[in-house]
Order: sequence, then structure tokens, then C-alpha cells
Amino acid sequence: MKLKKLLKRLNAYFDDSSEQKLQTDEGLSKVLKKLKKKEENLKLLVAEESGDGEREMLEQELKIVHSQRKKGIELLSNLRKPESSK
Amino acid sequence: MKNTLRKILLPTIFAILAYGFWISPDFKEISAGVAIFLFGMLALEEGFKAFTGGLLEKILKRTTDKLWKSLTFGIVSTSIMQSSSLVSVIAISFLGAGLIGLSQGIGIIFGANLGTTTGAWLIAGLGLKVKISAYAMPMLVFGIILIFQSSRHLKGIGYILTGLGFLFLGIHHMKVGFETFKDAIDLAEYAVAGYPGLFLFTLIGILATVVMQSSHATLVLIITALAAQQISYDNALALAIGANVGTTITAILGALSSNALGKRLAGAHLIFNVVTGLIAIAFIHQLLTAVDVISAFVGIGEADYTLKLAVFHTLFNLIGISVMLPFTNHLVRFLERVIKSEPDRYAKPKYINELALELSDTAIEALRLETNRIYNKATGIIAKGLSLNKKNIFSDTETVRIVLQHNKPLDYDIDAAYVREIKSLYSAILDFINRLPGDASVSKQVTRIQRANQSIIISLKDVKHLQKNLLRYIASNNANISNEYNLLRQRIATVLRRLEKIRNEEDASTSILALDALRLTLGENAALLHERTDQLIRKGTISAEMAISLMKDGTYANQIIHHLIEFNSNYLRSEERDETEAEHLISLNEDEIGSVLSETEK
Repeated sequence: MKLKKLLKRLNAYFDDSSEQKLQTDEGLSKVLKKLKKKEENLKLLVAEESGDGEREMLEQELKIVHSQRKKGIELLSNLRKPESSK
Repeated sequence: MKNTLRKILLPTIFAILAYGFWISPDFKEISAGVAIFLFGMLALEEGFKAFTGGLLEKILKRTTDKLWKSLTFGIVSTSIMQSSSLVSVIAISFLGAGLIGLSQGIGIIFGANLGTTTGAWLIAGLGLKVKISAYAMPMLVFGIILIFQSSRHLKGIGYILTGLGFLFLGIHHMKVGFETFKDAIDLAEYAVAGYPGLFLFTLIGILATVVMQSSHATLVLIITALAAQQISYDNALALAIGANVGTTITAILGALSSNALGKRLAGAHLIFNVVTGLIAIAFIHQLLTAVDVISAFVGIGEADYTLKLAVFHTLFNLIGISVMLPFTNHLVRFLERVIKSEPDRYAKPKYINELALELSDTAIEALRLETNRIYNKATGIIAKGLSLNKKNIFSDTETVRIVLQHNKPLDYDIDAAYVREIKSLYSAILDFINRLPGDASVSKQVTRIQRANQSIIISLKDVKHLQKNLLRYIASNNANISNEYNLLRQRIATVLRRLEKIRNEEDASTSILALDALRLTLGENAALLHERTDQLIRKGTISAEMAISLMKDGTYANQIIHHLIEFNSNYLRSEERDETEAEHLISLNEDEIGSVLSETEK
């Protein structure tokens, strides 16, 4: 895995457009990881919340985070598709 | 202790005044004169405010942008109006309205001191006395008619005329009140030779001018007394020096109703006249010789003391100006140090300065920190504008309960708070941005900071609009309408609280994304409000007028929330991090939020 990442970076170093791509890829991955954590955390909070109003707000937030993750995953998979298949 | 003192101070002043009015009609007349005069000052400043940012500002800037120009402005206007007090009072109100700066004001005051000496020439040479106080009544009448006009400029002129009218009327009442004291001033009684006499007559000159509210009147008195040989020539000169110092009382009175800037100018006036007076006293013999030489040169007779007095008056004011002029900047700095202005204490840029301008990174950081300060101050104003308390909003108590606890309308002046706490910071930020070198790498960040600031300013404006009906309806007897307005307050409070949590606690890299959830509630709430308003109208529980207000204010509440979210979105994006771009990509657009909303409704 580490070697693969190293090769990717090396490739990006010589190619401007793939450097840009790599940066976006890394950024998206980082944010997606955090969003995943957040989603899990929100699920726990929803289960624990007793107040109706508060739970409703948390559920809404959960839906939004879920949609954001879906969008992020889609963006990432598009980015990782080889040029020819796009 | 301080509060108790403050509480008893006003009733005590009232009691003392009331007792004074009861025992002395003259005291009543004088006090009423002062009150009318101060009211005139307020009207005058109000009038000049109508012209800020317009023609008058341009004319004043052009005629006072250099020291010699402001000096000439003072000389010419005082020569025409024949009242240095009036010119200095007008200069104070210009300053109070922000039309001119302190050093320009000082120039005008210095000029006015020289201009007023033309009065001595007119009185001594032609026996002429220009009396513009006769115009007071017509001014009031024309002024009031103009105030009722809808045009902003006509209204402004109306306020200026009314202000001048009241100034004259106030001075007239003060004079009438002092009439009895005036008769007591028999100058011959005090004739003393040498320096003690000089000081004594200077003091009498000051007192007489304070009493009569006019250095011109004192001059007339001096010239008459001199002509009747009641007093010696030396004593007459001392009286003229005193009159010059005493005339500042009008400016000091005028500054009472003005802000710190006006007070600084009145301070400058006092310092100038006292210093000039001291110089004249110290060099009285040299001055006398100079007056004789000049009089002989221009052909004034050896014994023509009245004209010689005019020469003396002009000469010592001229000396005063030449001595004080080089120290104008020192004077400005001194006055700024001694008389502190309130807005400075509240809203002075903390982070943006010359040093921060040197590097684009530090400049952006300084701008962000300053913008954050604006947000913190603005949220406080918004909370109070909603008759709530920021500390409570950010506490853990349920927002429903907070809104119910604050069920009394809070009469809070949002405009004044804006001027006090935001305006100077905002203009400092804009000024700083204009001075930033055009660095392409940070231009995106700068634009975001600019947009963030615009958003918060707009939301403050919207709170101001919302506040009008809110104050009226939250304490309404109709529970339905007060409930609806409380819901509007609650919504904004919830958003403020949520935003605060996003800003402080959450992982910085997902905070931009957390704003999407708030955007969702915004859309949802707008739909709910429309539905509820429809129901209330159908049931007839609120009047048509209430329904219209509610719909309009619902839109304002939405806009406030929208702009608060936009502020934070732009503010967070102005920070350059690797993940920012990715967050921007993931962030949901309006359609996507709409589809989440429709899923929720299903």
C-alpha cells in the first residue's frame, strides 16, 4: 500500500494535472474519513437523545452528513476512474 | 455604590433646579435659555447630518483641507456673521456630524478669533452693530415649515434654521435673565492701576462676557465706558482680553450636547483663548507700544482710544494665532489624549495595522481575526435586537425557555449600537483591503472575507427591520401573534447557538459541511411558517395587518439566518487549508438540500 502511494506521488510530481488530482483525492479522502466518524457519532447521539425537538435536529443533520458522504464517495470514485472509461 | 450615586444624581439635580426656579425667576430664565440653546445645538447637528456625504461635505472639504483655508473660512464666516461664538458652535456641530476633522475645526476656531475682531472695527469705526438675533423668530418659523417637507435636504435646512433660531432664542433668554446682574457691573468702582488692575479687569471682562453671552456686547460696554472716561485705557485693554476668554463659554455650552469630538474642539477654543490672553497680559507694555506705532502709521489719532482698542484686539489675536499655529498638531494630540471618545474604546481595530500589511499571510490572518470580532459584536447586537441576551442564547438552557423568560420588549437602539461597535471596525477593514497589494494568491480569501462582512452588516439591517413589529407583538394581548413572533426569535436564537457550536467545538475540517444542516432547517422552517400563517388567517385569530407583518418579518428572519450562515461559510472558507477545496466540493447545493428536504417530508 505504501509503495503504491509513493508511486502515485512520484507520478504526480512529473505531471501537473495529476498533481492537482492527487491533492483533491487526498483532501476528499481525509474529509470522507472524518464524515464517516461524524455519522457514527451522530447515530449514537440520536439513539441517546430523549428530547423530541433535539432528536429531530440531530436526525436532520444525520441525513445531511449521509448525503454529503454519498456525494463525496461519488466524486472520489469518478476521480479514480481511469481516463478512458470516463 | 456608583449605581446608587447615578440613581440619586438625577432626582437631586431636578430638586435643586426646581427649588431654584421657585425662588428666582431670573434663574429660571437663564436655565431655560441654556436648555433652549442646547436644544438648538441638537437641531443644528441633526440638520448638518442630512448633508453628510453630499454637497456640504465636499464644500467643507475643499474649503478647509489646508490650515490656511480653514483659517480663512473662520475669518470670513465670522466677519459675515459677526459672532465668533456662533461660528465656533457651528464648527462643533460640523465636527459632531463628522463633516470635518479636529485640526480643520481648530483652524476655523483660530480664524473665528481673528474674524471677530472686525466687530471691534465696526463698532469703533462706524458705530455699527450687526444684530442677527433679530432673525431668530423668522428662522424658527421657516425652519419648522421646512422640517415638515419630505425631501431630506429641505428637512436638513429646516433643522439648521430651527437650530440657529433656538440658539439665538436661548442666548436671548440668558441675556434677559442676566439683565439684573448687568446693572450691578459698574466698571468705575473697580479702577485699579498696574498688574493687579490688569488681572482684575481681565476677570471682569470674562465674567461680563459670560453673563452677557457676547464678546460684542462687552466690547460695546468697554467702548462706552472708555468714551465716558469711566475706565482707563489700560483697564479697557484688560477687559478686551477678558472678553476674548469669556466668549469661549458659548462653545463650551455647545459642546455639552456634542460628542467627544465636539468637546475636543471646545477644549481647543478654550486653550487658544486662554493662552492668547496670557500672552497679551505678559507683554501688555510691548503691545501698547506696538498699538501706538501701528495707529500712528495708519493715521489713528493719539487720543482716539476706541479705534486703538480695535487695533489692540486685532493685534493680540494675530499674535495668538502665530504663536499657536505651529503647535496645532501637538494640540490635537493633547486633546485626543485628554478627552477620550466612547466609540474608540469600544471599537478600535485590534489586529489590522501597518505591520500586518507587510505580508499577505499576516494581512489575511489579521483580517480574519478582525472580521471575527465584528461577528462577535454583531451577534450581541442581534440578540439584544430580538430582546434576548447573547449569554443566555449560548447557554445550555432550551431556547424555548429562554424566549419565554425574555418576554418583555427591550427598547434597544440598533443603529446606535452599530455606530458604536461595528461601523469604525467595518470601515477599517474595507480601508485595509483597499490598501492590500494585489496579490493573486490571496484574492479569493480577501473576497470571502469581504462577503462575510457584507453578510453580517445585512443581517444587522434585517434585525433592525424585524425589531419594529417584534417589540410591538411579543407583549401583545393576542397570544397567537406573540407566539408566532416568539417562534421567529427562537429560530434565530437556535441558529446562533448552533453556529457558535460549529465555530468553537467541531472539527474544523467538517465545520463548513455542518452549515448544510442549518441550510436545511432554514428551508424547512420557511415552509412551516407559511403554512401556519395561512391557518391563523383562515381561523381569523390574527388580523390582516398582523398577518402581513408576520409574513414580512418571517422573510426578514429567514434573511437574517441566511446571512448568518453565509457569514460563517465565507469566513470558514477564507482559511486556507488542504481540505477546504474538498469540503467545497462535498458541500450540498440548493437542489441537493431540497431533495433531502423532500425525503424528510415523505
